[in-house]
Parts: sequence; C-alpha cells; structure tokens
Amino acid sequence: MARRDSLVALVALGFGVAAAHEAGQLPFGGLHNPGPGFFPWLLGVFFSLLSLVLLVQAVLRSPRLAGERGGRVGNVLWLLAALALYVAVLDPVGYPIATFLLVLFMLRVLEPHPWPLALALAVLGAGGSYLVFAVWLSVPLPPGPLGR
Amino acid sequence: MDILASLVNGFAVALTPTNLLYCFLGSLIGTAIGVLPGLGPPATIALLLPVTYGINATSAVILLAGIFYGAMYGGSTTSILLNIPGEAASVVTCLDGYQMARQGRAGAALAISAFGSFIAGTLSIVGLMLLAPPMAAFALKFGAPENFALLVLGLMMAGYLAGASMTKGLMMAVLGLLLGTVGLDPIMGSPRFTFGIFKLSEGFEFVLVAMGLFGIGEVLANVEQSIKAEVFKAKIGGLLPSRQEWREASAPIARGSVLGFLIGVLPGGGAIISSFISYALEKKLSRTPERFGHGAIAGVAGPESANNSAATGSFIPLLTLGIPGNASIAMIFAALLIHGIRPGPLLLTEKPEIFWGLVASMYIGNVMLLVLNLPLIGLWVKLLQVPYPILAPFILVFVIVGAYSVNNSAFDVGTTVVFGLLGYVLRKFGFEPAPLVLAMILGPQLEGSLRRALIFSRGDFTVFVERPISAVLLALAALMLFSPVFRWVLSRKFWEIVGPVPEK
Repeated sequence: MARRDSLVALVALGFGVAAAHEAGQLPFGGLHNPGPGFFPWLLGVFFSLLSLVLLVQAVLRSPRLAGERGGRVGNVLWLLAALALYVAVLDPVGYPIATFLLVLFMLRVLEPHPWPLALALAVLGAGGSYLVFAVWLSVPLPPGPLGR
Repeated sequence: MDILASLVNGFAVALTPTNLLYCFLGSLIGTAIGVLPGLGPPATIALLLPVTYGINATSAVILLAGIFYGAMYGGSTTSILLNIPGEAASVVTCLDGYQMARQGRAGAALAISAFGSFIAGTLSIVGLMLLAPPMAAFALKFGAPENFALLVLGLMMAGYLAGASMTKGLMMAVLGLLLGTVGLDPIMGSPRFTFGIFKLSEGFEFVLVAMGLFGIGEVLANVEQSIKAEVFKAKIGGLLPSRQEWREASAPIARGSVLGFLIGVLPGGGAIISSFISYALEKKLSRTPERFGHGAIAGVAGPESANNSAATGSFIPLLTLGIPGNASIAMIFAALLIHGIRPGPLLLTEKPEIFWGLVASMYIGNVMLLVLNLPLIGLWVKLLQVPYPILAPFILVFVIVGAYSVNNSAFDVGTTVVFGLLGYVLRKFGFEPAPLVLAMILGPQLEGSLRRALIFSRGDFTVFVERPISAVLLALAALMLFSPVFRWVLSRKFWEIVGPVPEK
C-alpha cells in the first residue's frame, strides 16, 4: 500500500507540475489585478505540494490505511471496453440496438444469466427506455436504421 | 409571526398537486435507493439532474431533496436485514440492527429507525426553519474577502472530513478546483486549459462529471466486487416496539437529533460522520455498554436519528451561505444553478417560494416516508432480492440517456464514461470523489472572490486577515490544515469505545 501510494503521489506530482506549467503560459497579471493564469497557477502549485506531502506520508507511514480489496478487475476492463465501443457506434447503429447489445453483454458475459432472462431484460432495457425517453419525453436519441 | 406566515406560503407551494407528486416521487426513489446497496444518494441525484431540466426549480429541489433525506430512511432497512449498509450513513446501524434481527426483533429495529428518522427529520426542519433566516441575514454582510475565507474553510472541511486521508481529500478538492478552471476565464473571458479543443471552451459540464464519477464510477466499482446479498430469512415480527424498547430508544433519538443537526450544519459534515459519532456517544453514555454490538436498540435509534437530522441540517449552509457540505447537496446546488438560481444569502429574500416550499415539502415528505417505510416494509424487502448484476445495466442505461440528453451528443456520453473511469480509479486508490465535485462547483466563486478581493485591496493579502469575519474563518481553516492529529485521535477514540465488532 505504501508503495502504491508513493506511485500515485509521483503521478499526481507530475500532473500538478504540468498544470502549473500550463497555467504559467497564461497571463498571470499582478497581485493588484490577477489575470486568468493566477488562480490555476496557484492550484497547480498547491496540488504539487499536496502530492509531495502524500509522497512523504507514503514513505514514512506504515501501510495502515488499506485501500479497497482487489477484485475482478477483468470485468471492469471488459465493461469499459464495451462502453467505449458503445459510444463509438451510438450514432451510426442507433440507441435501441446499441443499448440492447450493451445490456445483453452485461447480463451474458459479465454476469452470466440464462439466455431467456438476459434477452428479456435487454429488450426491456433498450426498448423500454427508448419508449420512455425518446418517444414519450422526446429526448432525440439516435434511432439508427430501425427508426428510418 | 413572520416565520408562520412564510411557512403557510411554503405549504401553499408544496401542496400543489405537482409538487406533492414530486415530493412523493423523491421519497419513493430515496427509500428505494437507500434500500439498494451499491447505489447511493449522490449517484442517484446525479442521474436525475438531466430530468430536472424540464421542471421548475422549486419542484426540482423538492424532488432531489426528497431523494436525499428519503435515502436516510431506506438505508437502515438493508443494514438491519442484510448486515450490509444500504448507504454509507447506515454503516453503524449494521452493528446492532442486524443483531436485533437475528434475535427476532427486526420489526422493532425497523420501526425504531423509522420513528427515530421521522422525529429527527421533523425536529431538524424546525431547526432549519428557525436558523436559516438569521444566518442568511448575517451572510448578506459578507464581501469578497469573507466569501473567499468561507469557501476556503468549506473546502478545507470537505477535504478534512471525507475519506481516510486528509491529504487525499485536499488533493481531490484542488483537482476539482482545477477542473472548474477549464473553459473561459470568468473575468476576462480568455480560454484556459482548452488545448485548442473547441468543446472544452465551455468547460466541463458539471452534470457529466457528476454522472460519470458517481453513476458510472459506482457501477464499475460494484462490477468488480460482487455484492452477495442474503436477505434475512426469519420473520420481521411485530412492527411496534415494546414500551420497554421505546423507553430505551427515546433519549438516543433526542440526542441523535440534536447531534446530527449540529454536525449536519458544518460543511463537510453530514450524515455519515454524525451516525458514527452518535453511535460512539450512545455507547459511552449507556449504563450497559456491553450490550452494544449485541442488539442494543440505542445503537440503532441514535445513529438513525442522527443521519436524518444531519441530512436536513446540511441544507442550511447550502441555502444560506451557498456552500454545499456534501456530494448530494452539491448536486442540488447544481440543479439550482441549471435553473439560473444561485443558492446563497439572497435566496431567502429573492426566491422565498423555493426556500419555504422546500421546508414545507420536507414536513410532508417525512410523513410520507414514515408511511412508506413502516406499513410497506415488505415491499422493500422484495426489492432487496433484485440482484445487483441485473440492476447495473439499468443504471448505466439511465446514465447514458441522461448524458446524451444534456447536449444531444454521443461525445458527452464518452466524456461521462471517461469521468466514470476516473471515479473508479480514484476510489481504487483511496481518493473520495466528493470533495472534487464540491470544489468543482465552488471553483468559479472562489476564484472570483479571490481576484475581486485582491483588486479591491490593490494586491494586499492582509485584507483577508484585517476583516474580523474573514480572519476568524481563515484561522479555523488553518487550524484544520494543521490538525490531522485530532482526526486520527477521533477515529481511534471511536473504535476504542465501540470495541471489536462481533463476527456474523
């Protein structure tokens, strides 16, 4: 845990320095009339300082505060991949089909359920939400080829 | 009586059929998500933010507030019957509530939490009603330096009280402030951190960030940890507590109500901490502390009352100072901003119908919740049997539609997914996302007041310490910054009093 926290602190430090550097490119103004870069620069500096504090704490402190237990990280990655794909195909494929596939994926691959149940819930999830939101509440969800 | 007249007007607002419906919906949804583990009030309110675009501001606030305090009722059910907290403020209810259920007193435990919640909820609305107007009047005198100091203190407390590490909490707050600076500079209008991406020039849409961090982030975290729910099989038993149980519970309910309210008023305080402190307090005061952890009714009554009154109390800083104290309240803040209303000292005088309508709706909502949670308890037990894996896709569908509807663009859905990933990674490494959203929403105000104060003082930082109110607020913030020790002592003290938790 201590090692993981030091790694996190180093990444955060990099981020803070980068933010301060980026903010440094903006007009700083003066103390009597701070410009757009003033506040973000301060924040970048603060963030870097806090990262340093975290680094020191991680090195000094015994691993007292455990983070969350590791679990099925594979599942998380699969779901993220599915969501990325979903976003990519949402416009061309349309909301009903894309959502149907996403729900089916979650109920068949991530957490295997029997086919009839998974199919029924996927139809309900995609169709039901399309009816409620797109048809009834007129959110212009992309209909895809089905709607043409 | 000024307050009475205003309250009557408030009831006139809250009792319109539309607002009654929203109040009921809020209570219903709040209880449901309180009962369901793995879906907390901030996530739910974030999911519903896009829905509130279409309704008027008062109804929106009534709905979202109902979800927030309703969840405090529902959370206890899961803790008592499942030994899993339905939401974070009911963690300590597991300790004695579940033991009571095992001894066949589930009904009494459920009833005492519902009654305790109702009493605490109602008392704290009275507190809110009496305390908010003078506080708003006081805050009206604040200039830029005072506002800056207040915001610094608020963020400091949020970072201090959220999660295990203060350093990490503060890092989240600063990260939120940084995210808030993306887009056009509020004073000069020049682009910042947009990296030439046109879409970024309007900044990150708060709704997308909140739905990602809380909605998708929580789904990802739960997909990782399979939640195994096993509903307590035995009968719930009689719902009415015995006279003896009432006697044991009445003092804890009273203490919990007051304690919760006081903690709720603090920015960064709120329901979760108040329930822990109430539990420790009850054990300390009890003549039979050895019964705690083995089904002491005081260990259910105190915390469950405290989390309710804290939830109501946390509306005070929002409605009078414009400072959201916790993530759920930050979402309600956002809902008001979406409607072009800035919560703060002017809200009471300029939009009295919102404040008094909300107060009146809370009285009504608490009655609705009592009915929803006692006679209808069987319904919620059924809901508990819906496994999370089946719920997860539906939560995602809701997030997707909500994100899409903000600007009708698939790009926004992508942004939300990215923030979902961020929320998951942050949780994984022990960072709480709550201070981030608070800071993001307060960022523009903080920057504005800092820059205005400096312009006004011609670059002289002493302006912040020369004015008494801002000096006191900043001193408190500094005290907090250098006192992680207190906090450590406090948590040590808690576990010392509570002692080892018995195995199931």
